[in-house]
Amino acid sequence: MSSHLRLARRVSQLIFLAGFLVLFAFAADPLASPIPVDLYLRADPLLALSAAVSLRKIVWPLVWYALPITVLSILLGRVFCGWICPMGTSIDLLERAFRLRGRRPAEGLRWHRLKFYVLIGMLVTMLIPAAHRANQELGLTQSVGLSAVYLMDPIALLTRTSTWVGLPVVQWAAGMTSDTVSGWSYSRFVERHRGLDRALGPVQIGLAAATRPAYFRLGLVALLMLGGIVALGRYQKRFWCRNLCPLGALLGFLGKLSPVRLAVSDKCNRCMRCVNECKVGAIEDDPKQYRGPECIGCYSCIAVCPQQAISLAVGYDPVARKDEFRLDRRRVLGAIGAGFAAVVIPKASLGAMRTNATENVLKLSSLRLIRPPGSLTETEFVTACVRCGECMKVCPTNTLQPAVGEGGFEALGTPVIVPRVGPCTQPCSLCGRVCPTRAIEPFTVEEKTHLYLGTASVDRSTCIAWAFGRECVICDEACSYDAISQDADERGRPRPVVDERICVGCGICEWVCPVEPLGAIRVNSSGDKRHLRREEQKLLRDRAEQERQEGSPYESDDRPADPGAG
Amino acid sequence: MDSNLTRREFLKRAAAAGVAATGLGGLAGLDGAVAEAASTPTIAVASKKDPAALVRAAVGALGGMGKFVKKGDVVFVKPNMGWARKFDQAATTNPGVVAEVVRLCRAAGAREVRVMDHAVDRPDSLLLRMNGIEEAVKKVGGRTSFASSSALYERVSLPRGKALSSVDVMRDLRRADVFINVPIAKVHNSTRLTLGIKNMLGIVWDRGAFHRSSSLDQAMVDLVARIRPHLTILDAVRILLTNGPKGPGRTEDRRIVVAGTDPVAVDAYGVSLFGMKAAQIGHIKLAAAAGLGEIDLKRIKVKDV
Repeated sequence: MSSHLRLARRVSQLIFLAGFLVLFAFAADPLASPIPVDLYLRADPLLALSAAVSLRKIVWPLVWYALPITVLSILLGRVFCGWICPMGTSIDLLERAFRLRGRRPAEGLRWHRLKFYVLIGMLVTMLIPAAHRANQELGLTQSVGLSAVYLMDPIALLTRTSTWVGLPVVQWAAGMTSDTVSGWSYSRFVERHRGLDRALGPVQIGLAAATRPAYFRLGLVALLMLGGIVALGRYQKRFWCRNLCPLGALLGFLGKLSPVRLAVSDKCNRCMRCVNECKVGAIEDDPKQYRGPECIGCYSCIAVCPQQAISLAVGYDPVARKDEFRLDRRRVLGAIGAGFAAVVIPKASLGAMRTNATENVLKLSSLRLIRPPGSLTETEFVTACVRCGECMKVCPTNTLQPAVGEGGFEALGTPVIVPRVGPCTQPCSLCGRVCPTRAIEPFTVEEKTHLYLGTASVDRSTCIAWAFGRECVICDEACSYDAISQDADERGRPRPVVDERICVGCGICEWVCPVEPLGAIRVNSSGDKRHLRREEQKLLRDRAEQERQEGSPYESDDRPADPGAG
Repeated sequence: MDSNLTRREFLKRAAAAGVAATGLGGLAGLDGAVAEAASTPTIAVASKKDPAALVRAAVGALGGMGKFVKKGDVVFVKPNMGWARKFDQAATTNPGVVAEVVRLCRAAGAREVRVMDHAVDRPDSLLLRMNGIEEAVKKVGGRTSFASSSALYERVSLPRGKALSSVDVMRDLRRADVFINVPIAKVHNSTRLTLGIKNMLGIVWDRGAFHRSSSLDQAMVDLVARIRPHLTILDAVRILLTNGPKGPGRTEDRRIVVAGTDPVAVDAYGVSLFGMKAAQIGHIKLAAAAGLGEIDLKRIKVKDV
């Protein structure tokens, strides 16, 4: 029985890891998965807690999906960590692959309280008012936290790393194989793999795009973080899970209520194998005692016990299962301070804040802060976004990139549109359908005509038509929304002019502009209208359309009607 | 256009093409312009049928696809499928037209028919789903793909180019035996109209180089002077009258397909569909002046079918 339990746990781990990877693969056009591709993120109670506390509102889709793991943890303790968590499984596998054995089992509990301080720090970041927004329903201004949970939530971290690092590497490798190993025409290879993608149905890992591997700006940062987490296994097995993971801390806290515990019978001869084999050092010097909030339910102890003295039992026993946290008061205060600093210092750095608007506060550095369609106002967006990278994974043009400096430090890794990488292509609404926290709210392709992300403007000093008088209005050719019109020069040659009332800032003009490297037409965030509701934005668009048909009621005859003529 | 075409071989072929040219010049290909211009070009204009029948009639009037495609040939077909639009918006070539071209090639014994384009819009998969070409082509035994990587192109020098000195052309086209250009007739906000010659921009990697050059019109002429389609089949089943080339704009059903080996002649006829004169369209005028074909409709033999 005993080793069966361990086998079952390993099978469970592999199944849940496979499920994670399959859903990750499914997060691609045409998004045909019957199960939400962001299931693991939605099921994460820490993310639900973070959204509720920091946004001061309940995000119901997250709550419902987070319920099973919450209940599971209340019943059985941290079994999520041992049986389900794809991050834990990845660490297990990578520790095995790199033969990281954790040289200090004797110091098993040396750092274990750290994760509770991390969790406390995170809670502080959610709680303290970092910005304000107008609550349109309540008609008042309320505060919003700035959750730092994205930094260390294991599911967000793993999804993000898979997108920023895994995807480009797989695609790059596929492209290289075709180029060097085979003598076929490159395109034939691509085509074959499109066939493969089709054969696999909707499970596309993007091999069809293998000739143009995805690109993500912060890939190396994500890799170093994951690499660091795994490397810590050299010191202690599952160092991350036992000492750092805030989700593990939260579930450990919930597990205090669990009626299930490990029981050691009198057959125990204190051989200490369970102490040495415990993945998380939950058993200290006395095999008859273990720490409830530390145990991840891997049941290795049951499997390795030569006396078969360990079993599961129902009923609370405070002597066998020690549940107290024994947090150090000074360190708790330190964690609160650190959480405070984690909000204030990023916000106070890298670009001053505009303070005369309450809802869509952009920084002075945010000229190129172009958010995906459907995004919440900037204040809420930065709070709600957990940097999981699902939107970037699903984005078919790769235009969604992790923000580097656009939104300040507090927006690091959040999605921004980078038009020179690709356009936010008009007939696409995928990112709104995969965001687990609704930082990007679902939107339709039709709504994209009035979801104003930014505005394109022509740099007349480098534009081929404006500066050099040659034939080029490829921006106008490509514009999906008919927002670019032409202003003829004295010889009748067309020059592009943007109608800022129609332009939504999708960036296709910037993407196609032949002026290298930056393009002579560029989208900036000046047209960002997220502070308006969708119906208000639609009204603006409809009015602009109407003025186009009937002429503006505000223009007099003595002024040039064409904005480009002046 | 084998992969291993040597200069000597090329010269031989060009000479043979010159001698054999009948105005339908099946072997025209690279630099075939010289042979072409001398005689009166023939174009076929089919009207008032469904798209497939239009193609059949027009190609039939030129002597059938067997005249251009030999058994075992690899055929490169270049429709316009570079916009994220549905085909009924007339921004991309009618899938029925493209599929019939592919079917005729296969019936003539083509070993492989590759339908390719270099899209402006992204992503490729979505474009293919929207314009319906891939689905239609697959049914008749052709293959569709986009060449969205520079690795799929090879450098072709243009020693006689006036605006460009070299251009990167799709490798699949360079290695095909037959090149069939299948444009759709649309208005164009930069070149006024886009027909066969303008459609050729989709075989190059760096389209921007054309815009950056001293003249977009001349750059296109430089390209066609070097890479000349064996056959141009112009889709005017439904034409785009405003807000081209991408639309959405006003469309008009004309139910016409024009086919011919002289790209300038086909375009000249295409211009007339919009009530304009070919000499008004800069690149067509320049192409005629460069001796690439006949622009004067009076000197073109039009077979109405």
